[in-house]
Amino acid sequence: MADVKHLPAEYYRDFLSTVAKERKPSPIRSLYPLEKTPGVISLLAGKPNASTFPFTSLSFSARSPTDPTQESTLTIDGAELEAGLQYGDTAGFKPLMDWIFGLQEVFHGRRRGEGWRILMGLGAQDLIYKTVNAMVDPDDSVLVESPIDIIPIFHSLHCNQIEVETDAQGIRSSSLRSILEQWPTNKPKPKVLYTVPYGCNPTGASATLERRKEVLKLAREHNFIILEDDPYFYLYYGKEPRYPSYFALELEEPEVGRVLRFDTFSKILSAGMRLGFASGPETLLNAIDEHTAASNVQTPSLTQVIVYRLLDSWGYEGFKTHTEWVSEFYRQKRDVFESAMKKYLTGLAEWSTPEAGMFFWFKLLLGDNEGEGEGGDSETVIKTKAFEKGVLALPGTHFLPNGGATPYVRASFSLTGKEDVDRAVSRIREAILDARTENANRVKVNGNGAAR
Amino acid sequence: MADIHEVEHLPAEYYSDFISTAAKERKPSPIRNLLPLEKVPGVISLLAGKPNASTFPFTSLSFSARSPTDPTQESTLTIDGAELEAGLQYGDTAGFKPLLDWIFGLQDALHGRRRGEGWKVSMGGGSQDLIYKAVNVMVDPGDSVLVESPVYAGVIPIFHSLHCNLIEVETDAQGIRSSSLRSILEEWPADKPKPKVLYTVPYGCNPTGATATLERRKEVLKLAREHNFIILEDDPYFYLYYGKEPRYPSYFALELEEPEVGRVLRFDSLSKILSAGIRIGFASGPEALLEAIDEHTATSNLQTSSLTQAIVYKLLDSWTYEGFRTHTEMVSEFYRQKRDVFESAMRKYLTGLAEWSQPEAGLFFWFKLLLAENEGKGDSEITIKTKAFEKGVLALPGTHFLPNGGPTPYVRASFSLTGEEDVDRAVRRIREAILDVREVNGCGVKVSGERNGAACY
Repeated sequence: MADVKHLPAEYYRDFLSTVAKERKPSPIRSLYPLEKTPGVISLLAGKPNASTFPFTSLSFSARSPTDPTQESTLTIDGAELEAGLQYGDTAGFKPLMDWIFGLQEVFHGRRRGEGWRILMGLGAQDLIYKTVNAMVDPDDSVLVESPIDIIPIFHSLHCNQIEVETDAQGIRSSSLRSILEQWPTNKPKPKVLYTVPYGCNPTGASATLERRKEVLKLAREHNFIILEDDPYFYLYYGKEPRYPSYFALELEEPEVGRVLRFDTFSKILSAGMRLGFASGPETLLNAIDEHTAASNVQTPSLTQVIVYRLLDSWGYEGFKTHTEWVSEFYRQKRDVFESAMKKYLTGLAEWSTPEAGMFFWFKLLLGDNEGEGEGGDSETVIKTKAFEKGVLALPGTHFLPNGGATPYVRASFSLTGKEDVDRAVSRIREAILDARTENANRVKVNGNGAAR
Repeated sequence: MADIHEVEHLPAEYYSDFISTAAKERKPSPIRNLLPLEKVPGVISLLAGKPNASTFPFTSLSFSARSPTDPTQESTLTIDGAELEAGLQYGDTAGFKPLLDWIFGLQDALHGRRRGEGWKVSMGGGSQDLIYKAVNVMVDPGDSVLVESPVYAGVIPIFHSLHCNLIEVETDAQGIRSSSLRSILEEWPADKPKPKVLYTVPYGCNPTGATATLERRKEVLKLAREHNFIILEDDPYFYLYYGKEPRYPSYFALELEEPEVGRVLRFDSLSKILSAGIRIGFASGPEALLEAIDEHTATSNLQTSSLTQAIVYKLLDSWTYEGFRTHTEMVSEFYRQKRDVFESAMRKYLTGLAEWSQPEAGLFFWFKLLLAENEGKGDSEITIKTKAFEKGVLALPGTHFLPNGGPTPYVRASFSLTGEEDVDRAVRRIREAILDVREVNGCGVKVSGERNGAACY
């Protein structure tokens, strides 16, 4: 079996921010491995004594993935509970990370020894924040697909956010190619591309295989790292067989190491628990570790132990079954919502059917933009008319990194029951009709010359 | 309880000068601004990108905990239904409301601070998470900051990342030396912006173990007012006090005696009393500063785990403040005993070979090695890293706790984990390491009044 080639550690030096380069590993932490020396007594660790922690055991019940009417109860006590209650490794609880290495092999074909490692975080958001902090300097240019759920740290760093167009097939690699091929030679090229390849928030688009391959090719040609933020990977319900992740696809490249992947349990196990993980080049993840050590110290041991016990009891098969059931749940909710949209918004809005995630992204046809491409503005209609009629949705302008008007709207279909969906979408219809009437009247009043 | 005296607090505008450029630039998410509209009667919301909690597999969670009043008794608490759903779903940035409410009550019970005094509470992933964010929202790159020295090593990287000018304030067995602080501020060059923050650990300081006396605290508060800086009161060992004196009030409590409150940003932690791995801490302080911290949270890790907050709330609510107090007294007593065991061994083996002050809180001994070196300030690093390690004991050279580095003859040893026999062995090995070095330097054990050679002490 051919060895997988990976980019060497030195390659990433150009991809580390000044802040990351300046962070030095804690001299204290470098002493801890010495504790394992046989016969040594350590007075190093400023850890509290776990015998003073009052918890003696913890149990939880969870539905079986294969039979939701069945529950199993798992108990955490003894040494495992102590591990959950005490300080732990910065990177994460080892048994959980080992399980996740196995998961990444099952789902992405990636194995240890390919120059990558895993890191736990407080949700993927925590890890994305630290990754950008570790890779991007103030004023750097960064590539972001657009529309997108805006990453605040790009703004904090005064980044030049270069918007890459997207459509129903996800990121438009042709747009990305143009941007890079026309990049001014006197300006440093962007080092990262931020993309959400499944059920992108807000567009709901999933990137096709063809698009992903072209993006990987461009990453290699133009030397950037792909930040693959994939919270809806396990919420895919499309008809096509699942497209491989960038993390998996890069195995087909001459060498791996251009993808830093973010996974989260937020949409499949618990959002409030705050647990996610990054998989990617060791050098980059080491830099994130240093940031964690200087900020929140570690992801909670306790939540990691709880999740480990659950996943270990399920196995990879059980996990797959659970995520399939979750995907089916959201597919049904998508169908209910789309039914209502077809019923009420045909001719009044345009949209593509999402194949993953929890959002519909639809363009309002307000009579001021028909046949005009992307002209038009949903914000006023949504914030005034729609709200007055009793429905709240998100104007698409909030998803444009550099602001601007857009006729698009994001609606989430994750929480709303069938009857409320029907009411909500009919209210949107009424709001659009009102706006169209107003716009039509305005055209009449202004005369032919003002018709747009 | 009929305290009709209203507490004056500094106005919100006052903090404008204490908020960093990075914090000022952070805008609240427009999406979050829309969420309150969901409460409007009759409105159907398609706003929130929240997953549907019915897909979360957890159906209930229980835990057992020892009773504070009777450690042989355990009680079992269960989290299910709406409470579990709250624990499993996204929640408020600042924290799980029932827990925040409980903490407001705690701060009243222990520090006499009440709502309506211009302060609020925010949860964090441990107090260190909140300190990191507090510094980020208050300190600009290149700023001068006052830090007691030696200082908790964990905050040094936070200041280093911002290229801060770390102004070391001396400390001794009574804690921060307010006279040193006064000199620094009174001699501050007029053309240089004054430091806006002082970082201090007033109980069982890591690494020195020192606890600031009432007198020192009062002087520091006075200086904060005179020279216009905010006190970052990092207090993880507040509940691990076992001194003979009645407990000194926190800065957060003491500022009630000032003409107005609002100069203290206090950090509490549950790490040393309930669980270190659960990562729960909280900040109490001026609303403007905590709102800036909340904004940082919203743009970085979103929120402290709802689940761990729900677990902690359940436990604390079942204990009430009395039970909590009893528990922390038990914990303090535990560490007092461990301190006594360790100090016994120190007296037995290190008399004449080391000097130290007795800690009255926390987990650490900070002791000066008497190495009889011929020149220089004294340096424990090599002795500890080579000889002591060779003899089979690991301790921390004090240099790691100096904000600006440099040699020091001091060493930090933690007494929290080690049993009596291992303590005896460990301290004896330190003795042997010191003796070896002293021999090389030409001395034996110091005996009162005796001088073995010109450089011995």
